[in-house]
Amino acid sequence: MNKTKDRAWFAVFTVPLLFIFTTVVIIPFIIGIFYSFVTWDGIPANPKVFVGVDNYIQIFKDQRFMASAWHTVKFTVLALLSVNVLGLVFSLLVTSKLRVSNAARTMFFMPNLIGGLILGYIWQFLFTDAMEFVGDKTGLHHVFFNWLLNPQFALYAMVIVFTWQMAGYTMIIYIAGIQGIPDEMIEAAKVDGANLWQRITRIIFPLLMPAFTICLFMTLSGAFKIYDVNLSLTKGGPNNATEMFAMNIFNEIFGYGRYGLGQAKAIVFFLVVAILTLTQVAITKKREVQM
Amino acid sequence: MKQVKKAFGLLTAAALVAALAGCGSSNSGNSNTAAGSEPASGSAAPAKEKLQKISIFQSKVEISDALEALTKKYTEETGNEVEVWGAAGDDYMTQLQAKLTANQGPSIFSIGTGAPADKLKSYFYDLSNEPYVKDIAPNMALKEDGKVVGVPYGVEGFGLVYNKDLVDPKNVTELASFTKTMEELKAKGINPLSLSQEAFFLIGHILNTPFALQPDPQAFIEKLNKGEVKMADTKEFQEFGKFMDVIKADSKNPLEVKYDTQMGDFATGKTAMVHQGNWSYTMLKDFGNMDDKLGMMPFPLEGNNKIAVGVASNWVINGKASPDEIKAAEAFLNWLFTSDTGKKAIVDDFKFIPAMTNIPADNLDPLSKVVYDAAKSGQTIPWATNYYPPNIVVNDLTPVAQAYFLDKNMTGQQLLEKLDAAWAKAAK
Repeated sequence: MNKTKDRAWFAVFTVPLLFIFTTVVIIPFIIGIFYSFVTWDGIPANPKVFVGVDNYIQIFKDQRFMASAWHTVKFTVLALLSVNVLGLVFSLLVTSKLRVSNAARTMFFMPNLIGGLILGYIWQFLFTDAMEFVGDKTGLHHVFFNWLLNPQFALYAMVIVFTWQMAGYTMIIYIAGIQGIPDEMIEAAKVDGANLWQRITRIIFPLLMPAFTICLFMTLSGAFKIYDVNLSLTKGGPNNATEMFAMNIFNEIFGYGRYGLGQAKAIVFFLVVAILTLTQVAITKKREVQM
Repeated sequence: MKQVKKAFGLLTAAALVAALAGCGSSNSGNSNTAAGSEPASGSAAPAKEKLQKISIFQSKVEISDALEALTKKYTEETGNEVEVWGAAGDDYMTQLQAKLTANQGPSIFSIGTGAPADKLKSYFYDLSNEPYVKDIAPNMALKEDGKVVGVPYGVEGFGLVYNKDLVDPKNVTELASFTKTMEELKAKGINPLSLSQEAFFLIGHILNTPFALQPDPQAFIEKLNKGEVKMADTKEFQEFGKFMDVIKADSKNPLEVKYDTQMGDFATGKTAMVHQGNWSYTMLKDFGNMDDKLGMMPFPLEGNNKIAVGVASNWVINGKASPDEIKAAEAFLNWLFTSDTGKKAIVDDFKFIPAMTNIPADNLDPLSKVVYDAAKSGQTIPWATNYYPPNIVVNDLTPVAQAYFLDKNMTGQQLLEKLDAAWAKAAK
């Protein structure tokens, strides 16, 4: 009696979710795999021609796609470092006994409440008009110029905006991790004569591994899939120097109207993200320690 | 307490089920009403000749309120009903395609000339026999396979918009005089000619001129798509390259200019010329009245003396709709282009430059006036832009133009070679 009742409750809560997940994720995904084997321009009246793995072969001849892959890798590595280093530093700052720590927490987290599109437009103004203004006033034109017009610096600009957006979020996760470390343990270490550096590297970091797993996973997949900041800040320019994976796929499908090819790219993209993030989670999970 | 919990759980479950059922039933409800309304209107037809209700979906957000007001007047005058679906702006093509695909298409919709129209041509209804077709200005009707399928919204035109206080069009007639004028203006500390960073204002429109000067622009584009000709080997384009070199050398880097700064600098006399169209007037008038100083001249490539005039969007009827619906849609368009109310609305409320010879246009702004006069006299060059491969300006040409304006050492001829390469990739 009790068991069937439990089952019923289980069904009430999971079946709707399962239903929605299947219809909006699983089924389109399977249809997407099918589309990646045809050439088609998206008009129902026009034929879908089956071309086998042709689309997949074409992808690897597509220099622009390869270039965008390289931009994405560069961006992800830089973003991964800057977001997590800053997030960690922020969290250590606001958990120390500073008087402004509560206010600081709010301030650091605030950028995350603004959507990526709006952030991009705000920063676009900063990087073009404000930077040039400062350059004119100070004469330091080699630092303060329009970053978005330089292929190298436009990528750095994107890293900065992404960090600005995400560092506060990772900070929250790190704070939760740090607060989970019992005070007695730190006290004991202090009594034993461990200095601040030793306390951080020998006690706090190992116990923070679960937080690292989550934060690295989130920044890795977030940076790989970035689209909104990319769109609003640089639109992939100048000269496609900041076109990321997601934007390349979008342009292939909706810009060029090549649904099949774009879908094949999307499948490859999915595999890359899945493999990368799963590897990362596996590695960091192994390093997690139990108290 | 336990009772409350139970009740709460039941309520939640009920709500979920209701939500799911709601999702499922909305569809069937729709098809029911659709099926039901057809015989209803059919039976009403012989009695009062009331036509079936039609729907309109169109891309220009600016006119959506005016259009809705107009359809109300149409209902008052004729008793027939029209429903205007919310305008969609940038997302228009995607939404239109989704609606047509799902067989829930509008009776009348708007479509851009050229590549977008080619894409959806299987949906167009043949308008060749409509009474108002003869009134469409020469070469402005939307045609597919020799049949008239669309009526233009209105015409638009672009060229060099200039400040009469700073530039005399007599001094800008070909490359030599153009260069001289540019240098003189630069020496005076004025930015002689401004492009801006948006794809069409950076390269899309200005590149139109060498295409339009070809004897048959459409055929030239087809050859270019097949790789039979190259821009870099064509005389008009080589000249265009030289013009671009002058623009790059003498004026501010367009990648640092946005459409609004371009207009602002022009309105305040910091810039003498901009490559723009009559649409920019709406923005210019926000900076104060400069009607007396405002002029538009042709881009003087190879001595070109004609403004580029074309159609941005057209009304078409959905040929996949039911015969009754098509009949009602025909009646509405006929009313729009022949009744006084309709004609007046096109000019006064939509603020279009009419592309119909039976619609008089008074009180046009100075830029629109230039375009209207040119269109009426036929002294125009076409918008070859419409026949480019879809989205090529944004996808392929703009990155090349960006590279050109960022690299001081890149010449106009190299720009053409890069454009050729980009074109070859986009056209395949």
